[in-house]
Amino acid sequence: MTAAVGARSALRAGLIALLVLLVEWARALMAQQPGLTVAALALGGAALTAFALGWPPERLGLGTSKFGLRLLGGLALGAVLLLPAAVRPGVAPLLPAGLAWAAIAVSIGEELAFRGALYAALDDLGGAPLAIIGSTSLWTAAHVLSHPTQFLGAVAAAGLLLALWRWACKDLVAPVIGHAIADLAL
Amino acid sequence: MKRAAALAIAVIAYSLAAWMVAPGFYDGFGPPQPYNFTCPPPQAGANIKPSSGHADIPVRVGVSEADSAFTDDGQLVMGFLPGAFVVGGKTTITVEIKPLDTCPQPAGLRLVTNAYHVTASAALNPSKPANLVLRYSNLEPDPAEIYQASDPGGPWTALPSQPGQPFTIVTKQGTATFGYFAAGYKSSSPPPGSVTVGGGQILPILVAVLIVVVVLAGLPLAIMRRRQSGDRED
Repeated sequence: MTAAVGARSALRAGLIALLVLLVEWARALMAQQPGLTVAALALGGAALTAFALGWPPERLGLGTSKFGLRLLGGLALGAVLLLPAAVRPGVAPLLPAGLAWAAIAVSIGEELAFRGALYAALDDLGGAPLAIIGSTSLWTAAHVLSHPTQFLGAVAAAGLLLALWRWACKDLVAPVIGHAIADLAL
Repeated sequence: MKRAAALAIAVIAYSLAAWMVAPGFYDGFGPPQPYNFTCPPPQAGANIKPSSGHADIPVRVGVSEADSAFTDDGQLVMGFLPGAFVVGGKTTITVEIKPLDTCPQPAGLRLVTNAYHVTASAALNPSKPANLVLRYSNLEPDPAEIYQASDPGGPWTALPSQPGQPFTIVTKQGTATFGYFAAGYKSSSPPPGSVTVGGGQILPILVAVLIVVVVLAGLPLAIMRRRQSGDRED
């Protein structure tokens, strides 16, 4: 009985991991086609958001208790994510205004998929360590096609920070807000 | 306490990792294809050398046909109207586009694209200027104008320009002569598209505001929580 439940959890986690990875890679490849950048971001964001369907909000870290603190945490995470770019001398490229809403869609979708559904599925399978390490690894792999290689360290570190927040505060609201702020700025 | 320590370590690890690659946090939104730089910025990653271009434009009954010349990577496109060239008895006009091996940075200007040398076997007809489109990278600030020079050392003259498709800039009235072309902005003014608040970039101010909000709002919340837990203990 326990083995059957374990196998089902493993199958669910594996399936979510595979599908999330495929969606992210498809989004990255589609965004490279002329004129399809915004559509790729919007469709990718919508597809990633779909991974949250069927999960109780609390399991995704989307509870409403201590909402003020969650909002504040989001602002703090946004500040941390942007701090290296803000203090760096020289001009940081700002996100073109036309991509803003699509960037928000992707931020929400990525958080719901990686730190929401995938984290919850891995947590069920192997507890918090597997959820943190697994979601961070998948998050990094998902950005292989959209990022130059030398950015992947920073991507992994950002994923680890957001996953640790999810674990430490049992909260996904702050990662969503922080991620969206960072994406809107850069 | 253990969780707070883990978060603190993650913040430090992220700050170090993001500091090693400019601009830091970057989520991969950008132009449809990477820009091929002559002088890539550190954050450009694997870079391919920019391509050159060549076009043979037919001349029919003493009039050159409408055509365009472009680099193989599409980073520079020059469009010609019918009769754009002073043909002088030629049956074909050849146009060559070559990216410079160096990156001129003239005083007072900041060129954000490669510089290209465009030559042709015939001069342009001044009444039919050629249209010029330059693509640029999202890793650099948006350019304000396309600049032209007869020598890479300058002087560089602005051609009235406007934004085209995303990450492209286009001349408004075209150019009546060949030479060296690049896009950029006056270095004395902030790059176009950047929002300036209080004389600087918005990003440091945004981060400062976020920190102030977190501290100002966090203190009362922390005090309230402490009072609540104190009441419970009483």
